[in-house]
Amino acid sequence: MSSIPLEPSGTTGLRRWTEPARIGEMSPLGSILTYTILIFWSLFVLFPLYWIVITSFKLPLDVNAGPVYLPFVDFTPNLHAWRDLLVTGLGETSKPYFNSIIVALFSTVFCVLIGSMAAYALARIEYRPKFATIILFVLSLIAVSVAIGVYGVDWRIAAAIAVALLVLLSRALSNHFQRRVGNGDILFWMISQRILPPVVVIIPIYMMFQQVRLLDTYAALILCYTVVNLPIVVWLMHDFFRSIPIDLEESAALDGASRFFIFFDIVLPLAKVGLAAVTLLVMILSWNEYILALFLTTTNAQTMPILVAGMNAGERGILWWTMCVVILIMILPVVLMALILQRFIARGVLLGAVKG
Amino acid sequence: MSETADYPVMAAPPAGHNAKKRPGRLQAKNVVLENIDKSFGSVRVVKDLNLSVGAGEFLVLLGPSGCGKTTALRMIAGLEEANEGKITIGDVDVTNTLPKYRDVAMVFQSYALYPHKTVAENIAFPLRARGIPKSERAGAIRTAAEQVHMQDYLDRYPRQLSGGQRQRVALARAIVRRPSVFLMDEPLSNLDAKLRGFMRAELKHLQHDLGVTMIYVTHDQIEAMTLAHRVVVMNHGVLQQIGTPREVYDQPRNLFVAGFMGAPPMNFIHGAIANNRFESHGVSLPLQGDTEPRKAVLGFRPEDALITETGRGLFDTTVYTAELTGDVTLVTISLGKASLAVKMPKDYDADYDTAVALTFPHAKGFLFDEATGERLKTELQTIT
Amino acid sequence: MAVSTIPASRTRGAGISEWFDRTSRHWFIWPAVIMILVFSLFPLIASLILAMSRIRLRAGGFNVRFVGFDNFEKQLFGSEQFHFLGTFSSISTLGWFVTIVIGLLLLYWIYAHLRRGNVWLPGMIGRLITAAMIFGLTLLFAATLLSGEQFGTLGVTLFYVGFGCGIQFVIGLGLAVVCAQPIRGRTFFRVVFFLPLMITPIGIGYAFRMLADTTKGPFSPVWQWFGLGDFAWAADPWAARIFIIIADSWQWIPFIFVILLAALENVPRDSVEAAHVDGASGWLIFREVTWPQIAPVAATVMLIRVIEAFKLVDLPNIMTSGGPGIATESMTLQAFFAWRAPDFGQSAAIAYLLLFVTVVLCVSFFNLVVMKRRAAEAI
Repeated sequence: MSSIPLEPSGTTGLRRWTEPARIGEMSPLGSILTYTILIFWSLFVLFPLYWIVITSFKLPLDVNAGPVYLPFVDFTPNLHAWRDLLVTGLGETSKPYFNSIIVALFSTVFCVLIGSMAAYALARIEYRPKFATIILFVLSLIAVSVAIGVYGVDWRIAAAIAVALLVLLSRALSNHFQRRVGNGDILFWMISQRILPPVVVIIPIYMMFQQVRLLDTYAALILCYTVVNLPIVVWLMHDFFRSIPIDLEESAALDGASRFFIFFDIVLPLAKVGLAAVTLLVMILSWNEYILALFLTTTNAQTMPILVAGMNAGERGILWWTMCVVILIMILPVVLMALILQRFIARGVLLGAVKG
Repeated sequence: MSETADYPVMAAPPAGHNAKKRPGRLQAKNVVLENIDKSFGSVRVVKDLNLSVGAGEFLVLLGPSGCGKTTALRMIAGLEEANEGKITIGDVDVTNTLPKYRDVAMVFQSYALYPHKTVAENIAFPLRARGIPKSERAGAIRTAAEQVHMQDYLDRYPRQLSGGQRQRVALARAIVRRPSVFLMDEPLSNLDAKLRGFMRAELKHLQHDLGVTMIYVTHDQIEAMTLAHRVVVMNHGVLQQIGTPREVYDQPRNLFVAGFMGAPPMNFIHGAIANNRFESHGVSLPLQGDTEPRKAVLGFRPEDALITETGRGLFDTTVYTAELTGDVTLVTISLGKASLAVKMPKDYDADYDTAVALTFPHAKGFLFDEATGERLKTELQTIT
Repeated sequence: MAVSTIPASRTRGAGISEWFDRTSRHWFIWPAVIMILVFSLFPLIASLILAMSRIRLRAGGFNVRFVGFDNFEKQLFGSEQFHFLGTFSSISTLGWFVTIVIGLLLLYWIYAHLRRGNVWLPGMIGRLITAAMIFGLTLLFAATLLSGEQFGTLGVTLFYVGFGCGIQFVIGLGLAVVCAQPIRGRTFFRVVFFLPLMITPIGIGYAFRMLADTTKGPFSPVWQWFGLGDFAWAADPWAARIFIIIADSWQWIPFIFVILLAALENVPRDSVEAAHVDGASGWLIFREVTWPQIAPVAATVMLIRVIEAFKLVDLPNIMTSGGPGIATESMTLQAFFAWRAPDFGQSAAIAYLLLFVTVVLCVSFFNLVVMKRRAAEAI
């Protein structure tokens, strides 16, 4: 390793290609390689999108006869699929579209609000719940589930007895077991909820909603999406709140502001970069969610992913042109929002994630 | 503020007493800390602190970083809970009161300005948080802004202001709700040296104008000397000395205070008391008073000492370097392994390793017990 | 002190807003906790009971009969074994060889840990569980894949997770490194590379079906040129699996890419510049300076990706419906099919097996890779 080049680069044959001409630039060879890779990958990313777009303008004939690539050259673009969907078939599409918007919007708002409040609390307020109480709580949950599931006890009675027992026992036990958990443990518990595959919890949730007659409603989906995305919000916002100087909040507390006032007037505005990014992320996840909607909806609250997935079932096979239009109108709002918030994405959620 | 004061209270009267009434004056309150103890985990950061601050007094808590001065201030503000002891403000026990009911305002080292609010909105925040209607706010904001000369910047955001201007906004935000006690946590340490001197004078004047009780934390002994009615020197969570700046400077109670005050600080010569003399490397001086044999430290201030020809001073030594600092020449001389600083007139000069002698008035020499650090009731004997 | 300890007021204050302020610590955290308890912890427990039950639908409700571990037994050893684990016959020589090598490596790993001294008991137990899980899965693959037999949904899921995430990480990292160079149009590439993340996985599934069509798709001339005009990729197990992984990668590489790019841009310039001044080559700089600084982020982002990959269901359902046969069926899809059957007990049992595998592997990854990377960074 003693061959440190002493002569200025760019003089001899090969080195002209492998060494940068100036500081802060790439070598010619490197830059050719780099741009080749970038352009290749851009094509790989963009081609499926391009194909979706042109297919949406094709006649069934253009699709079935084999591939045609260039509009106006290979084939004449035709709006029939768009017309079918947006004019003739409007009733069929608009309902799930509207459902998706409602569900994504409300679940995002709830999720970001509840999640950032919890994240803030865990970043700034000290919680020290007793370990014994938590164990007791989980045990009573198990007991209630067994009582309801296996012995068929009415769920209201079981819940009432469990709460009463829990209060009594936790009082009695708390004097003997002094171990406590801290904020870090609560945070870890909340974030780790994301590991749960939805399919593990969906069947009891399905049965719960069936009991309270909420299957196939907005409420069911909104509640589920809120919980599923909570870990993400808590995790990312926790990092954000911690990066806000605590002086600001202490000063506000001295000046007579309440916690809520501090949170909504000082903390949230300061975290708006992260808030925007998290909102976008949660919104994309709710908008595109499939498996929970598949379990919980049938007709009324059906969302767009279910509609798209169901388009396979037609007798004539898949109507690719219609499918492409549906995919496009589904992408549209998200891409629009993402382009608007592009700056936030780059700086916001990613840096939050980066810090871990 | 009575039962805990076992030290001379109010060596200097608060400035408020002889100042004439002004419209901007606030209702000052006294602050008393009794037996305050605070630990973070197993670290005891404040140990049995007793302190009585008079209404309208400017009290400075001085000490190196980590000495517990900021924690003490935060406990007065209510941002930390004391483990032991009692805090009263205006003769009301506030030990367990939420910060917002303590009627104190605090200026943070970082200023804690809200970056998403304009200057006016920042100043308005304490009023808004207290639910004061918008119509009443405008006048108060204007008055507060005028008191710190920021009335022309009300629509700016903090990022558009210079450090000194931000400092003023933080002050205005503290003034606007007319608290009876002001707390300041190193408010000037983020400013450059020139601005710091200027703001120091303004702060002093503002406190005089408002007549408010001010508790001020700093590690800069010049700030403490210039601003305070009384200085509290702290180290390792323990109060070392309390008194007027002059008392603390001229009559340091122990080695720590002596070594902390002054720039450069007091010179120390480590040695021992034996046979009524202070003996050290090449030094032997007669003593009077308590001359019980023990290890001891002789201290004297650089500005009290003089360099003379060999044989005519208290002891002989050599020059290490001489530096012209502008108003004085700072001469460093070596004595054994120690080096001592002497401030000489600015036209004094000496080459390296010149043999000289050092002298200082016997009354300006202090003797400390090396083991405990306490000042001894021992003096140098006059030699002529 | 990140957590401020503003003491509670015990002296003054009245009114509803004051009461809200004093109890604010509860208002902030309880909504989230209750949501998670009701929709996550309770169903988790209830699901375990379902997994040990046989459930019959009746008008307006269910009949639940407790059957113990029957459902699990059926998946692991009984009539559904071929579906979940795969088909077993005698293990081939290659299978034995791989099993023994992995087994020895795991033994050495435990041994090396023991030799280092001050063994912490829970950590040791965790390591043993990890080792047992890896050995069990190795044995599974040895008995199925390496012995020329069909493997079940567990194998398929692990294939998606291991192979899919591995490829996505390598490509994502490569692209991020390339994009971190002083190139023009970085914003353009960033936006383009981020697009796939916006698209519903269902749409991606259909789009890739369209692209892969050997007669009508855009690449059909290529297929025909190779003489594969009537090749149906959906009918070949490996082609189908690979194709699902390609679609999955198309969507998820951007995620890894963008986060690693942010991490790369966060690497302090002066450390790289110092290495340049010292005359280090590009590869050496990456290996010795850049990589150690982005490794914690890389480990974290891979943990997220692995967690999500275990849940993969939409792509196989749309692209192949789990076929041919069960060749592309992930465990979530299997649970969904069982639910639709309807056999709630089996579905819950499969879900619980998935949870078990996910938790053991993710926690192992977290403790052994992510934490180690972070610890290394802290030093």
